[in-house]
Amino acid sequence: METISLKTNRSSFEEVMSSPIKWLNSDPRHYQISFLGIFLFYGIEDLNWEMNWLNIAATLAASLLTQFLFTWFTNKNYQSLKSAIISALSLTLLLKTNLILVIMLAAFLSIASKFIFTFKIVEGKKHFFNPTNFGIILTILITGNAWISPGQWGSNALLVFGIGILGLAVLIKVKRLDVALAFFITFCLLNFTRSVLILGWQTDFFLHQFTSGTLLLFTFFMITDPVSTPSHSKARIVWAVLVAMLAFYLSAYEFVNGAPLWALFFISPTTILFDKIFLHPKFYWGPTNLPTKEAPNAQATQISKTFFTLKNQSI
Amino acid sequence: MKTQNSKSKINKSIPLSYVLCLTSFILILFPFKNANAFCGFYVAKADATLFNKTSQVILVRDGDKTTITMSSDFDGNVKDFAMVIPVPVILKRDNIRTIPSQIFQTLDNYSSPRLTEYYDENPCESRVLYEYDAVSKMSLESVAASGMEKDEEKYKVKIEAQYTVDEYDILILSASESSGLERWLTDNGYKIPAGAREVLQPYINSNMKFFVVKVNMEELEKKQTKFLSPLQINFNSPKFMLPIRLGMANAKGAQDMIVYAFTKSGRVEATNYRTVKVPTDTKIPEFVSGCFGKFYVDTYRKHREEAGENNVYLEYAWNISGSVTQFCDPCNGPPPMLQDLVTAGVGWVNQYHYGYSGDVFFTRLHITYDRKNFPQDLIFEETPNRENFQARYVITHPAYGEFTCDAGRKYVKEVMSRRNDELNNLAILTGWDITQYSDYNKKFAQFIPAHEPRMRSTKTNAPDNLDNDNKQDEIISNDNNIKQESFGVPYLNDNSNPPSGNSDLKILSISVMVLLMLMAMVAQLGKRKVVAHKNN
Repeated sequence: METISLKTNRSSFEEVMSSPIKWLNSDPRHYQISFLGIFLFYGIEDLNWEMNWLNIAATLAASLLTQFLFTWFTNKNYQSLKSAIISALSLTLLLKTNLILVIMLAAFLSIASKFIFTFKIVEGKKHFFNPTNFGIILTILITGNAWISPGQWGSNALLVFGIGILGLAVLIKVKRLDVALAFFITFCLLNFTRSVLILGWQTDFFLHQFTSGTLLLFTFFMITDPVSTPSHSKARIVWAVLVAMLAFYLSAYEFVNGAPLWALFFISPTTILFDKIFLHPKFYWGPTNLPTKEAPNAQATQISKTFFTLKNQSI
Repeated sequence: MKTQNSKSKINKSIPLSYVLCLTSFILILFPFKNANAFCGFYVAKADATLFNKTSQVILVRDGDKTTITMSSDFDGNVKDFAMVIPVPVILKRDNIRTIPSQIFQTLDNYSSPRLTEYYDENPCESRVLYEYDAVSKMSLESVAASGMEKDEEKYKVKIEAQYTVDEYDILILSASESSGLERWLTDNGYKIPAGAREVLQPYINSNMKFFVVKVNMEELEKKQTKFLSPLQINFNSPKFMLPIRLGMANAKGAQDMIVYAFTKSGRVEATNYRTVKVPTDTKIPEFVSGCFGKFYVDTYRKHREEAGENNVYLEYAWNISGSVTQFCDPCNGPPPMLQDLVTAGVGWVNQYHYGYSGDVFFTRLHITYDRKNFPQDLIFEETPNRENFQARYVITHPAYGEFTCDAGRKYVKEVMSRRNDELNNLAILTGWDITQYSDYNKKFAQFIPAHEPRMRSTKTNAPDNLDNDNKQDEIISNDNNIKQESFGVPYLNDNSNPPSGNSDLKILSISVMVLLMLMAMVAQLGKRKVVAHKNN
């Protein structure tokens, strides 16, 4: 009864909005896909990136095919194809190359890493490399024909605002705001200390660096990947601080372009260690904010939660 | 030529990483009065009249080795010139040399934006012709120097080394505080603009050395020339960058700089600013050939306003490896030869038959920088991107004659529509008022060849100093002035541009998007509360 009256009282705006919202809320990945799509569109249309649609299609195809094949031979959970789309979009946003085969290789490496670089946890297996990050770094190392363009976004306040807000929306959904903040604040503080307090540059020197689209995209959309980050929140914060420190070192003292990407690559394997020390159930994609529905892997989560409760009690 | 080396060492109490972490940047200064400059600033002597239009730099990157060659317009008396170049390490005598200034001309001619002309054939008659028109000439001279003395101790400034390189006397200083360095320079007859202090200190804090140059008039007289040679330095540092902050110290408006970069692997792009291509391959009306320089100035300026004032603009990128057969399409000027490459500091090419062997990629970047839009020095990246690019604009001369056949009539229609498009392109690229060119189409329709309309009267984007008739005539009549006009600071230094309509649209669209999202989230939250309430 109440449900019916609720429906009739709805404004027309809510009616219109309800189905896409329902779709978005059914999985945080839908938010990610939409936002990454918006960024890609903005890059191509407004920032005039040199990118042809064939490259994007090839990246998507390679990612989806790799994901499909690996899934076919493993758990047959085809929901994971959404993650492949996210990886493909992130690749097209971050990695530059003129050769279609190179970007396809990157897509393959990204997805394959999820199935190859795994470690055992209570609920089964977990991968520890951020797929896109792994794909990017390895492709650059192997082919020498791909590169990162940290300057491609320029730096303007509008972009910061856009990426920030959209990124926050995703992070609230996947509950990984802690990682983003820990990384960003540490990286900011280290850079501020060095550039402004020690070297004596003016603040706009420092701000210029932090309004870079690449850094924000990394902060809000890459390092915060809920699956490959440590599961326990304390561990995640320590882990993110480590990434920030390494990124700072690489950029300030080794002059590495796209330092955060390299830092994440090197710190990623420590996820295993953190997960062994700080026990916590693994993250599962699903409608985390809809209490009425059950997550697809709710059973597994429940089992592991029980396990951890028992374990903690015994300790 | 005497060469002295003082055996001094880097202060060990300062971390070595600081020395390594900062690469060279350049600071040009003069005793007393001021003017604009390359990466640094000029300070001129009382009477000197200085005007720095466009600076040009050649950058060669090979692994960690960077070679920088500097040239800058300088109209003052050479003995008034001095230059200070902070460098990450103490340069040895072998790291410094002068080169012939011709190299800048060669590179500029080769890579500047170009106009291409095509000739239609009469479909009722004959065939095609193909030509091109070169677009370049940059008046660049060089630098001049002035008096300076050796001093130290009380200023906490130490002379690390001292050389004479051709017409230049060079000192390498290390300083431990900016006030000391400032006093030293002032007491030695130099005046530093107030704005320089804020940047001097960070460089000193980074333990940079200061490479101070003045002209040795005796040596210059021996060379029997009044013009100074470009100075080239090289050093090893992992950081691939070009300092521009000091150049803004006393500059009132924006300054222009052209960077010619040579690498082994591919294009050079900025990592801390967006690298954007200038518009290219656009068909423009025939009459633009008479004022191509002005056309490009306005195109560049409008594009910069729209795409962003804090961008680096790519004007040319070409694979000029020894094995390549096509060095340009079409060529503005001859591509750099082996000798030019060696002069520029490209050390990895070898003579091979009549050419050279080795991979070389050439990039030309155009930067219009000011304090507001460029808070950081330019940091570059050598990418593996070997895609060629050139700023090319096309004019197509229609065929004239009888168009009595069917194909001829169709052709006339096509040309009419093409000429409309050309006019629209012109308006889009330059912002010129095209209504006064309404007879452009008629001229073809009536088969009145050649006499094309005179210079436009600008509607929106005309810089004040170009509205002066003499200036316009000069541009129209002299194609050789094109480059000079293209990059002359006076035409590009508009600091106070209002945000473009385009960016308003961006703000609006993103705001709407974000608002929609927030509303949706709120709606969703409300819904959940209702559901939760119901469940309770």
